[in-house]
Amino acid sequence: MNTFLQVLTNGIMLGSLFAIVAVGLTLIFGIVKVVNFAHGEFLMVGMYLTYVLTTWMGIHPFATVILVAPALFLLGAVTQRFLIQPLMSADDDHIQIFATVGLSTALINLALLVFGADIASTPASGLRTPLQLGPVRLLSGQVAILVASIAVVVVLQLFLSRTQTGRAIRAVAQNRAAAQLMGINVNWIYILTFGIGAACVGVASVLIAPLYPTSSGIGTYFVLTAFVVVVLGGLGSIGGAFAGAMIIGLIDSFAGFYIGSDLREVAVFGVFLLILILKPSGLFSSRLNLSHVSP
Amino acid sequence: MKLSYLLKTTAIALALTASAAQAEVKFGALYPFSGQLALLGEESARGLELAVEEINAAGGIQGEQITLVRGDAVDNNQAIGEARRLTSLEGVKAIFGTYSSARSIAASQVTELAGIPYFELGAVAEEVTGRGLKYLFRTNPTADDMAKMIIQMIVEKVGPGIGKEPADLKIAIIHEDSSYGTSVAERQNAYAEEAGLNIVTTQAYPAATVDMSSLVLDLKNREADIVLQTSYQNDSVLFLQQANEAGFKPAAIIGGGGGYSMQPTADAVGHSVIEGVLDVDFTQYSVNTSYTPGLEEFVEAYQKKYGSAPRSGHSLNNYVGAKVILEALGKASDLEPDTIIETVKGIDIEAGVTAAGYGFKFGDDNQNERAEMMGMQWQDGKLVTVFPDSAAMTPIKLGE
Repeated sequence: MNTFLQVLTNGIMLGSLFAIVAVGLTLIFGIVKVVNFAHGEFLMVGMYLTYVLTTWMGIHPFATVILVAPALFLLGAVTQRFLIQPLMSADDDHIQIFATVGLSTALINLALLVFGADIASTPASGLRTPLQLGPVRLLSGQVAILVASIAVVVVLQLFLSRTQTGRAIRAVAQNRAAAQLMGINVNWIYILTFGIGAACVGVASVLIAPLYPTSSGIGTYFVLTAFVVVVLGGLGSIGGAFAGAMIIGLIDSFAGFYIGSDLREVAVFGVFLLILILKPSGLFSSRLNLSHVSP
Repeated sequence: MKLSYLLKTTAIALALTASAAQAEVKFGALYPFSGQLALLGEESARGLELAVEEINAAGGIQGEQITLVRGDAVDNNQAIGEARRLTSLEGVKAIFGTYSSARSIAASQVTELAGIPYFELGAVAEEVTGRGLKYLFRTNPTADDMAKMIIQMIVEKVGPGIGKEPADLKIAIIHEDSSYGTSVAERQNAYAEEAGLNIVTTQAYPAATVDMSSLVLDLKNREADIVLQTSYQNDSVLFLQQANEAGFKPAAIIGGGGGYSMQPTADAVGHSVIEGVLDVDFTQYSVNTSYTPGLEEFVEAYQKKYGSAPRSGHSLNNYVGAKVILEALGKASDLEPDTIIETVKGIDIEAGVTAAGYGFKFGDDNQNERAEMMGMQWQDGKLVTVFPDSAAMTPIKLGE
């Protein structure tokens, strides 16, 4: 029973880790409708920023969020304005995908150039301390990720449903042309959304950096799972991404223990395929809409 | 027509003799100098460069100074292209390389067809020498030697050290699931069976994993005494951290090369956590130098030329391999491919006289049969050699 509870806890912690990375992606993927292959590299950039700020200034990793999140917002906004937006009117949507693949490769090699191939470890600052809660053990840093991922989901959800800007973002997601006719500045909304999505990655990187050593390839560790989570939860659905992340985390953890670590991915992707077959639009999205000009 | 042809060939022949009179002989240095593997590719090449400098300072080989021509094996295709350029355009007498097994396998096919000798000084995959090539030789120990040394260390040191009979030890093998980890794990299983050891589980995981807590929990429930991990850097860090955090403390953890030998790994995991962790890899620098004569001089020469201490054992192993080969060639009658092969096959050097410790004698498959890895342990934040006894700096520390 204790083992079961530990596996369950591990799964929830892993799920919240996936959730915090995927929340930003679901905004970009679901609203700007850009498949951002550089998402993982945004995380990498954020983690290096956290590393540099903590080691140079000697402050707590979590305190760097006041600089890292705005920096990532800027990176996202600039990417949208100067890389994606000029390609928005291209004949083929896929050109944007290649642009983000190019950005991803460029960022990885830039990191190799600046930081070399060695890993960089952000000081753990007590976040790797195991806590014993009844029968289960977990890290304080993992609890922080769980709390933060729930907070980010709630705040984004409120922002999208309660504010004028949030409603404008949802309007653009539903129908770009109609939103434009209603007087919404669509380009500006895209820049804002891309920026917010990237800022969420900034929050994620601050939380992850103390727990995982940073390297130029660290983004690739997370990005595939993030896409799976977003598609599973339903594009653009913030709550869906959270639920999807929890499902993936739990399957990964249980399959890893009860089936075998080499079959974890088989289990994860097996369930993913099954859900897609039964509900192609994802768990929490009523319809699939990937076109910029909605019907 | 015939006359002009004759004149031309004579001119070329004269030109060739003239260039020979300048007393210079070319060898290729084929390594990944750019891209993802550049760091350790460059580190490996430095060993070769230092060997060549030393030989040149002592008068070169057969009275001629050696010039190294670099080829950048940034990926498999370019390794092939550069091997072609070196053999045909540059006219090198032999190629040295390559650090990466895949690139070595690709490039050596070109040299084999061209009939030019190829000396592999650092790639570990079995397949490099397992293909029956005539012109390819390998000086360094392989993945198989790694597995063999790990099992030998368990039988001779770790088992007695924790006070258990070999058959009573519960050994768990975990490995990343690419061909590297899988092949080492297979060999570990085979050698363990030979030695009558008890392997309780063998588990693979993807190298790009972000969570190993289930695996750790499984090993903990099986009460494994010894865990063998074959891994890269991130997964080594992850396993050591998560095992520590889950309160899983096996009597011994033995890593295979890669991430386990690097200082940044120890810094990332924390020196108190990695304390006592064992590792089997190429000869490193904290070693009993009476078994590795010439190692201090190598470190000194390295420091002088590159302005820093060697960054890994790769340079040392490349240096030793290249030096042994070049010294042997210096005593040969000429540098024709067949003479080179014959000379190299005649090399017979016992263990304990080279800077890497291991001896040299090439077997039927052109693999150096005397190449061996060494066992090391993290003690007080430093990786020190503990096995075999002849090379050990300090005794192995177990069970605190």
